[in-house]
Order: sequence, then C-alpha cells, then structure tokens
Amino acid sequence: MKNRIISTIAALLTITISLFLPVIVQAVPKTLVYSWSGNVGPLNPHLYSPNQMFAQSMVYESLVRYGSDGQVIPWLAESWEVSADGCDYLFHLRKGVFFSDGTPFDALAVKKNHDAVLANAKRHTWLGLIDKIKETKVIDTYTVKLVLTEPYYPLLYDMSLARPMRYLSPSALPKSGNSADDIKAPIGTGPWTLAESRLGEYDLFKRNDRYWGKKPAIDRILVKVIPDHNTRAMAFATGEVDLIYGEDQISLDTFDRFKNDPRYTTAISPPMATRALAINSKRGPTRELAVRQAIQHAVNKEAIVKGIFLNTEIKADTLFWPNKPYCDLDLPPYEYNPGKSEQILEQAGWQKTHGPFRTKDKKNLTVDLCFTGNNALEKTVAEVLQADLKNVGIQANLIGEEADSLSRRQKGGNFNLIFNGTWGSPYDPHAYCSSMRVPSHADYQAQSGLSMKEEIDRKIGLTLSSTDQEKRHLLYREILSTLHNQAVYLPISYTTEILVHGKKIHNVSFGPTLHEIPFATMSIQ
Amino acid sequence: MLLFILKRLLALIPLLLAISVLVFLILHFGNNDPAMAYLRLSHIPPTDLALEAARESLGLNRPLSVQYLDWLGKAVRLDFGMSYVTGKPVLERLLYYLPNTLYLAGFSLMITIFLSLPLGIISALRKDRWPDHLTRAMAFVGVSTPSFWLGFLLVFFFSVKLGWLPALGKGGITHVLMPAFTLSLMSMCINTRLIRASMLEQMNSRSVLYARVRGIHEKRIVGSHILKNAMIPVVTAIGMHIGEMLGGAVVVEIIFAWPGVGRYAVSAIYNRDFPVMQCFILMMTLIFVFCNLGVDILYAWLDPRIRYREGGKA
Repeated sequence: MKNRIISTIAALLTITISLFLPVIVQAVPKTLVYSWSGNVGPLNPHLYSPNQMFAQSMVYESLVRYGSDGQVIPWLAESWEVSADGCDYLFHLRKGVFFSDGTPFDALAVKKNHDAVLANAKRHTWLGLIDKIKETKVIDTYTVKLVLTEPYYPLLYDMSLARPMRYLSPSALPKSGNSADDIKAPIGTGPWTLAESRLGEYDLFKRNDRYWGKKPAIDRILVKVIPDHNTRAMAFATGEVDLIYGEDQISLDTFDRFKNDPRYTTAISPPMATRALAINSKRGPTRELAVRQAIQHAVNKEAIVKGIFLNTEIKADTLFWPNKPYCDLDLPPYEYNPGKSEQILEQAGWQKTHGPFRTKDKKNLTVDLCFTGNNALEKTVAEVLQADLKNVGIQANLIGEEADSLSRRQKGGNFNLIFNGTWGSPYDPHAYCSSMRVPSHADYQAQSGLSMKEEIDRKIGLTLSSTDQEKRHLLYREILSTLHNQAVYLPISYTTEILVHGKKIHNVSFGPTLHEIPFATMSIQ
Repeated sequence: MLLFILKRLLALIPLLLAISVLVFLILHFGNNDPAMAYLRLSHIPPTDLALEAARESLGLNRPLSVQYLDWLGKAVRLDFGMSYVTGKPVLERLLYYLPNTLYLAGFSLMITIFLSLPLGIISALRKDRWPDHLTRAMAFVGVSTPSFWLGFLLVFFFSVKLGWLPALGKGGITHVLMPAFTLSLMSMCINTRLIRASMLEQMNSRSVLYARVRGIHEKRIVGSHILKNAMIPVVTAIGMHIGEMLGGAVVVEIIFAWPGVGRYAVSAIYNRDFPVMQCFILMMTLIFVFCNLGVDILYAWLDPRIRYREGGKA
C-alpha cells in the first residue's frame, strides 16, 4: 500500500515536471550581465550627471546618428534638407515609431522635447547648437523644421550626441513641460527600457518590444554596480559578469592577462580620442617655439605606448586621429630624435654649462608638468616624460593635483605642460576646436602666446558657420597645420576602448562613439 | 543611572553643533569646488558660464553664513538637503544604505566575538603551549594583513578557484561571509590577545587565589571569577571595534561591491557632494556616541564598583 502511494506521487510529480519543463526552460530570459561603477541614474535624456551616457543611449534615440566612418546617418529622421543659407533644417521623421509606452513619435513630440531642452538652455551653453536654435516648427505630423539664428555646420553632429537632443515620450514630461524639473518615467524609443533600479546594486534593462528597428537578440541587460577595477575583474573571472567593455573598466595588465587566456575573446577598438598635453606658449621657457619643438622630438612615444599602455593604445603624431572628419592632412610627424632635440636647443642658445640641465641668460630650462595626482596612468606617463626631457637637458617639475585644482590650473594657464586630451567622437574636431576659443580651456591658454591666436579663433568661427564643405576642408587644414607647426600640443597616443567576454557571447562590436555600447546587436547562447 | 544617560545625551547637542560647524568650514574652505566636480562628472567643459550656472543651481553662490544657517535650520527638522549629484534628499539615501552597513558590521562583530572568545580563553588556559603559540601566530598575521588584500585573496580562493562563494554583491548568507570575515579579522585578532592578557592578569589576582583556597571548583573559578572580571576591558575594546568596523566597512564595501553607506560616502567625497558628506559625518558621530554610551552602561552592569560610585555621587 505504502509503495503504491509513493509510486503514484512519483508518477504525478514526473508528469507535472515534464509538463512545466518546457515552460520553465522558455521562461528563463537571456540575460547579459555588464557592470558599471555606479547606478545609471534616473535617465533623464536632457540632463547630465548622475545620468550615465551609455544608459541614456540605450533608452533614447536621436534624429541622426554618428556612423563609424564619421559620417552622419539617418535614424529617427529618415532624411533632411538644408536651406541654401544654412539656417533651416527640414527633418522628415521615420513613420511607425512608437515610444515604449505606446505614444507615437511625431513632429509634436520632437518640438516638445526641443522646447524642454531650450527651457533649460543655461545648462547646455557648452554645446554650440543650443544658442543657434531659434525655434522648432511642426510642419505636419512627420515633418519638423529647425530654424537657426545663423548657419552652423556641425548641427547634425550635435544632434547625434547622447544628450541633450534626445527624445522622451511627451507623456513622461512633467506638467510644466520642462524636463529639468523631473520626468515621470524614463520612456524613449530605443531598443531597451529601464525595468528596475536597485540603488548600489544593479539596474535592469529589458528589450523594448515596440522597437521600430531590428529587435535585440538578448532579453535583458543587467548592469551590476561594481566600483572597483579588481572586483570587476574577479567578478568576470567567476562568471558573475559577462562583459567588460569601455575605457576604464579594468587595469591594462588585467586586460593583458585576459588576452592570453584562451577562454576569453578580447578586442581593442579603433582610436577614440587623443591623449595629449597642451604646451603653454605664454609662460616660461615654452614661450619659445624652439623649446616646444625640442620637447616634441625628445619624447619616445613608442616606448610609452609599449611600456605603459601595453600596446592597447596607438602612438599619436597629430592632435586628431587622421581618420576623423577633416583631419587627414598628412602633417609631417615630429619623430623621436633626442639628437635633433638637443641641436634645436643649442641653436636657440640653451647651453649645458654644468649639470645635466641647460641654461640661457642665467635662466634654467625648467618646465612645470601638471597631471591628475590620483591618476596612475598620467603619473607614470609624466615620469617617463620627465626622464625623456632630462635626457635632452630640460628639467621637468612634476605637479600632481586633484582634478578640481588641475581644472583651475588649466583655466588660469598656470602650467608649461598639462594633460589635456581631446573629447573623442563625435566631438572631434568641431566641438573641440570650438572650445579652443574659450579662455577657461587649457587649449586657449596654451595658444594664447601665439602671434596668430586671433587669426586661429577667427578661422574656427568661420569654419563652424561655413556652408561650403570645400572651404571647411581648407580652413581646418590651415588651423590644424598652424597648431601642429607651432607645437602647442604634445600628442602621446590615441586612446581606445577594450572589450573582454566569454565564448557564449557573440557579435560584440565597438560603438562609433565613447558613449554608446551596442548591446542591441549582441547575442548570447 | 538614568541621570547619567540623560547627561550624556544632553552633551550630544553641543557636540553635534560643533562638529557641524567644523565640517562645514573644512568643506567650504578646502580646495574643493562642487560646481567644478559636477561639470567634470557631467562631461561638460568648465567654462565660466557653465560654472556660474552650476553654482546657481547648487545654491553655492550665496554667502557662507547664509548657506550654513539655511542648512542648520533645515537640519534640526531632519532635512539634510538635497544631494548635489542626484538631486534627491540626502537623509533618505543614507538611511537606505545604512542598514546594509549595519548588517555587515553586526555580522562581523558576531564573528569577532564568537571566534575571539574561545580562542582567547584557550590560549590563556594553555599558556605557552601549542594552542597559545598558534593563536599568537594567527594574531600576528591577522593584524598585519590589510583588508583590501585579504578581501581579494579570499575572493580569488573561494570564488575564482573553488567557486563556493559569490564574489560580490548583497544576497543570502553566502554573500556576507567573506566581507564580514575580512572586516572582522583584525578586531578578532586584537580581541583574542586582549582576552588572553586580561584573563592571565585575573588568574594571578588574589580573589582567584582565595577562591582556590576556599576549594571552589576550577570550572567555576574560570567562569565566574576570571572570565567575568576579564571581560571589562574587552567590552571597552568591543565598543571601539564597532567604530573600527563602521570605518573599515568603506574599504570592504568597495572590494565586495556591497551597497553600504560607506561606499556611498566615498563616492560623495569624490563627487564633492557636500550635503551627503555633512550628513554622513553627523550620522557617524551619533552612532559612535551611542556605541560608547552603550559600552558605558554595560560597563556599569559588569562592574559593581562603577555603579556604586555613580550611585554615591547621585
């Protein structure tokens, strides 16, 4: 009797389990686990920190996108027309696009978002586009016109940024219409929706089933909060994190270790931005062109890239990577040649009389080299530079400070050499050049001793408002050649992103900008 | 006793006030600029215009005294302001993270007490024999091991190599084991040695000698004569260990990605999030003072001499 009861129960259990097994198997969603140093924030598309750009790009989309070759490609706008005077942009919107809450994406939604951004224009002054927009006009349901106060060629690049020109569902805007007040929920048109946020623990994204484009193959992206590099590396090794992707996720020696591990796939992205130092043409010995040129020839960049960056970055000869728009100029590099460097200094009257360092008119050849104190990479590079410069008779004082003090030093021009990288795609070169005209930037301070500084600024202004592409090419050539010949930048390397993942993840590629991770095209087994 | 507690609580008010002024002054006269930090975090170039806009939106363009009084006025009503970074109420966030830290510190304290007590007693009773040598060596290594290194070592061994324990995050009991052990090792080793020393001292005291003479059973001598008296300095030390654990939790929380208040405070320091830092320091002051008060009360309970003195004065 007892046996019969047991066998009946066992049979029932088996049937139940076998009935539900397919359901259970199906129900386990495909989840990719990524990690980030903090939570992604409330995901307001029109605001900055604590909103994280990579997450804003997952949920919100722009009218146009920055393509991998530096060209602007249609996205939420299928096409656009620019008026002859360069002041009117007519965008034809993609039809059949819905926000993840079902609200249709149309011209009115675009206008409401633009108006919300402009209502908070003060916060966006850094972006050239903002003070050029006169108004946004709704022409019909799927046509919208952007009217500018003056022509501005990088408009489409600025429109492609991760923020603020992205589109929130009008239903999520607050009553005031001003998204700076708050948003009701993070609802966009992008391939992902933010499903859950647990402070200090994780953020969970789910696939947006209303997405207009190719739907992601992965169901969910779980972004764990891991502030420490080593913890992230450990979590990856134990399988608690599936993907390492980005600029500053793990240390370079850890990357090197993963690279040699057959269980993992690793990759290094094409150049993103430039790691460079600005050389001050208005202060101390670096006022002399000869000293600036001698510094260029004295630095062994190849050794830095190999020894410090473990070949994850690429040696840089010019301020911008030649593949950036307008930057393929064939400028002659300052090759590593300490002999030539010494020769230039000798000719300029800097003599080695006693000791390892040079003097002229009883003044020592001493420069202040400033870096972020707690940035281990910058510190190491600074130390190598110090040794390279000593080699040719230049004494470099290393000044390591915290980020805020360094910003103040940049603003005040209180440096000879200072770390000052470019911003990367899609800001290079137009937005970066535009900022060279602003006194609070190290670039402005570094260039301010040049006799042709006014001319450079004028040409940058002309470039940005020019509607003729040929003319822009010409102007960029003049600006960038001048800066190169005047040696006010010491480019070290082109920075890259790295990625590491296990064999179960496929189709991982790099996004065209620093601020987007192409989760939507990835797949998982 | 009640009067004693009341007096201590009243003394808390000027203490907190003094600390709040001090913290406010240190933060605002230091080389820190929250507006600059905000722009850096937002990837916005720090133009003068952008800085001005950031200062205005953070309320930093007002005179310092106005800022302090405004803050104080709200703080007495338990409104510690909005975080510069998240724009959300500070106290709410800190209270959200605090239980996780208390859980971790509490668990560590349990480990400390439950391991150091038997180890300390055994090494005292078996003085200069192998159990004593073993705990001595353990204490030596334990005190010298930095927690960030120990943490990674544990993760490497138990998570990466053996796969027994999760490497990070908060979850079930398995998640708290490694962080709590990392956090408690140093206190545990100090405590073991302290219990041993304190017990040896009591063992040589006259009361113990007379107890032996009275023919009291050795077990009772150890239990109620030696151990109870030996506990008095240990209780003081444990009071300090709680503080040590709440402070040490910062490092452990970062290594194990534990969503605690220490980690939140560190990110606030990095982000120059003044309201969070102010509230955090006051909160920690309060916890420390209460821990010490608790220790004092326990002390009085353990040592009748203190009780009688207090009673005599009153």
